[in-house]
Amino acid sequence: MASDKLEYRQIVIQSVFVLSALALGVKALQLQVMDASFRLRADSSTVEQKVVYPARGVMYDRNGKLLVYNEPLYDLMVTFDRIDPDMDVDKFCALLNLDRATFDALLNKDWRNPQFSKSVPFLFLGKLSPEKMAVFQENMYQFPGFFIQARSIRGYPGTHGAHLLGYIREVNRTEVRENPDFYAPGDYIGDSGLEKANEKYLRGVKGKELVLKDNIGREVGAYKDGALDVPAVSGMDLLTTIDYDLQAYGESLMQHKAGSIVAIEPETGEILAMISAPSYDPKLLAIGPDRGQTYNALINDPNQPFFDRTVMAQYPPGSLFKPLVALIAMQEGLLQPNRAIPCPGGYYFQGQLMTGCHAHEPIRSVEDAIKHSCNAYFVTVFREIVDQFGVYKPDQGLDTFNRYLDEFGLGSLLGIDFPREKQGNYPSGSYFTDKVYKNEQQWFSLWIRSLGIGQGELLMTNLQMANLAAAIGNKGFYYTPHLVRELRAETGAVQVPENEVRRVQSSIDTAFFDPVIRGMEKVVTSGTAKLAYVPGLDICGKTGTAENNQRSKEDHSIFFGFAPRDRPKIAIAVYIENAGFGGSWAAPVASLMMEKYLKGTISPERKYLEQRMMEASFLEELLTDASRFIHGN
Amino acid sequence: MVTFSILLALVAVGWLMVFAVGYDESVRYNSLEFFSTPIGRQTVWVGISFVAFLLIQLIDWRFWQTFAYPIYGLGIMLLVGVLVFGKTINGATSWLSIGGFTLQPSELTKFGTALAIAAFLNNYSTNLKNTNSQLSILGLLLAPILLILLQPDAGSALVFFSFLILLYREGLPGAYYGIGFGVVLFLLLGLLLPLPVIVLGVELVFILILSFYMPQRNISIFSALVYLAIMVSMAVQTQSVYLIIPTTLILIAMIWVLQRKPNFSFGTLMFVIFIAGSGLAFASGYVFNNVLRPHQQDRINVWLRPELSDPRGSLYNVMQSKLAISSGGIQGKGFLNGTMTKLNYVPEQSTDFIFCTVGEEHGFIGSASIILLFSVLLIRLTILAERQKSAFSRQYIYGIAGILFVHFFINIGMTMGLVPIIGIPLPFISRGGSALLGFSVMMAVILKLDSHRYQI
Repeated sequence: MASDKLEYRQIVIQSVFVLSALALGVKALQLQVMDASFRLRADSSTVEQKVVYPARGVMYDRNGKLLVYNEPLYDLMVTFDRIDPDMDVDKFCALLNLDRATFDALLNKDWRNPQFSKSVPFLFLGKLSPEKMAVFQENMYQFPGFFIQARSIRGYPGTHGAHLLGYIREVNRTEVRENPDFYAPGDYIGDSGLEKANEKYLRGVKGKELVLKDNIGREVGAYKDGALDVPAVSGMDLLTTIDYDLQAYGESLMQHKAGSIVAIEPETGEILAMISAPSYDPKLLAIGPDRGQTYNALINDPNQPFFDRTVMAQYPPGSLFKPLVALIAMQEGLLQPNRAIPCPGGYYFQGQLMTGCHAHEPIRSVEDAIKHSCNAYFVTVFREIVDQFGVYKPDQGLDTFNRYLDEFGLGSLLGIDFPREKQGNYPSGSYFTDKVYKNEQQWFSLWIRSLGIGQGELLMTNLQMANLAAAIGNKGFYYTPHLVRELRAETGAVQVPENEVRRVQSSIDTAFFDPVIRGMEKVVTSGTAKLAYVPGLDICGKTGTAENNQRSKEDHSIFFGFAPRDRPKIAIAVYIENAGFGGSWAAPVASLMMEKYLKGTISPERKYLEQRMMEASFLEELLTDASRFIHGN
Repeated sequence: MVTFSILLALVAVGWLMVFAVGYDESVRYNSLEFFSTPIGRQTVWVGISFVAFLLIQLIDWRFWQTFAYPIYGLGIMLLVGVLVFGKTINGATSWLSIGGFTLQPSELTKFGTALAIAAFLNNYSTNLKNTNSQLSILGLLLAPILLILLQPDAGSALVFFSFLILLYREGLPGAYYGIGFGVVLFLLLGLLLPLPVIVLGVELVFILILSFYMPQRNISIFSALVYLAIMVSMAVQTQSVYLIIPTTLILIAMIWVLQRKPNFSFGTLMFVIFIAGSGLAFASGYVFNNVLRPHQQDRINVWLRPELSDPRGSLYNVMQSKLAISSGGIQGKGFLNGTMTKLNYVPEQSTDFIFCTVGEEHGFIGSASIILLFSVLLIRLTILAERQKSAFSRQYIYGIAGILFVHFFINIGMTMGLVPIIGIPLPFISRGGSALLGFSVMMAVILKLDSHRYQI
């Protein structure tokens, strides 16, 4: 029987009740109010945010021909815990051409490895062909636990345009860090060519989908009925300026060679073809299992197939420079179109031969000088330009000369919508005064005379050469060369890329172009590039032969030109390394390109020439392991 | 009336929560199908409980004291019967199937045992300081505990320890509680901490109290203590049990010093606590590994040492439960908007883990309200108990308060990871007819007794 002295125990019991309730309350407070991180985890474990990947934009050529598309790739995934233990394994194996041992090996992973879990889907069989996928998909309902996951890689209808189109690769950590809105590890990014230049248009915008998952990770529906979902926006399609047929033809002409071809439509600046040789099949660098091996083979190839010779290689222009020297001299009033300059087998100064020249008819005009590419003529003219402020002020004269080079896009980036463009080079007056001849009291135009014939410190990319041809064909202006005409969004809306296409007008009087163009026409009809003559096309051009730095090797064969003479439709520059005389190789290749573009086919009487060009080989060491990846081998 | 209102509130909340768990907006039931759904059956049980509640108000209040033992006996018989005829669900033979409804006799037995113990305490021959009485009560408790353990349903068996609260109020010596508390404490500490740390802790407490009792005793004791502390810290650092031997020897030396002083009995007590505590802590590892079954080990590990548990296995339930409660935040996601509880993240969500639904859908406001309601009810019951003129009534009410308290604290505590997972329902709220009926009967009897509180 309880007595009054035990009544204090009521308080003890009540205290126990209150303290226990308090403990529960504090714990609830901690879980629900204080510990926000715990709550965030709670959200992420029921609502999963799934990224919806946009389709990458595709590319078309100027005639609507598909250049790059997205190719679906199918992975067969499986969730171990959801496999029906009684599934018909024999049928399953038959559908996928597997044997039982392989099946077991693929299915039974090392479950102690945290990489795998029986309740999380893992890759069972990668890269199913679309046919296998189709067959399997029809029967998939019989095999619970298995499902197909589609991924998308780049596909190419043809085998050409590898440098031009470029390739994609997985993003690296820096790119993810700098652009977390656009890239997550495992995403793809354009790494070269058009893929890189137009990355921001092609990639599109990722969407998100919030899905509810139950306790074993099954999706049970959209979160808030999809109210918070954001659809993906597909990347924009590129409508490029490329003529794929011309591109392919150019690549076949350039097989077994190192060099490049750039063809531009002069009246718009649109690039018709941009070929760098040696090239390779773009499929080889598509995301796939052999990509790494191919990549290594290509990067180690001594012929440097990854080196884009259209915009990255910088060559001395050689004789291609001469028409520009004539134009500048005429504009400066230092050269009359009908001026005759004797050439006694070269340029002589005080009785000494300074620059040699080949034997040719007497030069009676600018026209003749270009036709015969007379060194004496252009050295003379060039020196007069440089010395126009007096022989003691050659720097001033040279800078006056250089200002015209700027107007033709030399020595600076043209601003093409393509990555890794190099700017070429021309030397300034101060370059000689402050650097080369800084130990001399004075320097003279004679010392830099080789600039007048395109040698010396002059460097141009092939793109700049083609652009120069376009500017001469246009009689004094050019448009920023570009590769993308328009961008087409998913909705069909078309927009112009941000890259500015400028019309650049030179200050040289249109009239001065006539004698130069006539001379360039004669180069083809009766001069150094007779192999480039095509009846009815009115091709104008200029050959060049640049000395090879490596003495043992042949010179580089160069040609640039345009056609037809009036209102040209195509301007082109061809540079073939180690091929020799410009008229023998570069000129006929250029003419075949122009004939192909303007006429559509090569006339039968020039088929022999086409064959000769295609068969010619100027690569010395192609028989390396890598060569099997390169066209024409 | 206060008690009855709280009761009604809890039952209403429970019904709504069970409804929320089963709620699926895509399904519309017609009236017949409704009664085959969980919420439908729960509605029927609410009705049955209400009828039982009313009936009890009509029965004479003395009935319960008079028939305490027969009711207890009926409960024991049912427990035996369930072992023979019972239905096995989830591995436990705890249910009797009667006309489409399943009954859990252990719920009735709680009620019966409360009556029986109250009746027994009311005997004039009973004295809780007397070993015979203590053993008799132990017997009354052990019969249902053992029978329930045979089902096996350790959770329900554990509830019978709640009568310790009643027994404390009625005069069971406080030393029992101190010793019991100490034993449990050291067993848990043995699992949680390395042995030397426990030894160090006990010794430090010892030193503290010692210095309090002997403020200006000789320097030699103080220096011995410093030496002891150094030894112990070395023991901790090396994690070596063998260093306990020298530290213990020093302790013994200290006790010897104390023996010649008047504080002898206190020193002995501390020494016993020290030795027994260390022994228990040392033994707890053995008990854990050799006595407990794997699933019980898991539950202890999940509670005390979650780092040892498999997050996809044993830790999963409690993690999901905590996540669900936590996801409610302050205000909750709103009624019927709980996603985790609805998507089967939480195990047993309409029964043992119903509190998750409260926490997720109604946030801290909801969970705090439920906790508050229960504590008000519990305090209210102690007040009711104390105002009874009849000792039987007071004892019965304390018994029921204890049962409610254990259910309330363990159930809510386990959903938040405060106590190990022990599968017992949250009174009035969890889905389950037997429990609802059982608790309703317990409460109905309390209210009936209270209406005659001035009578003996």
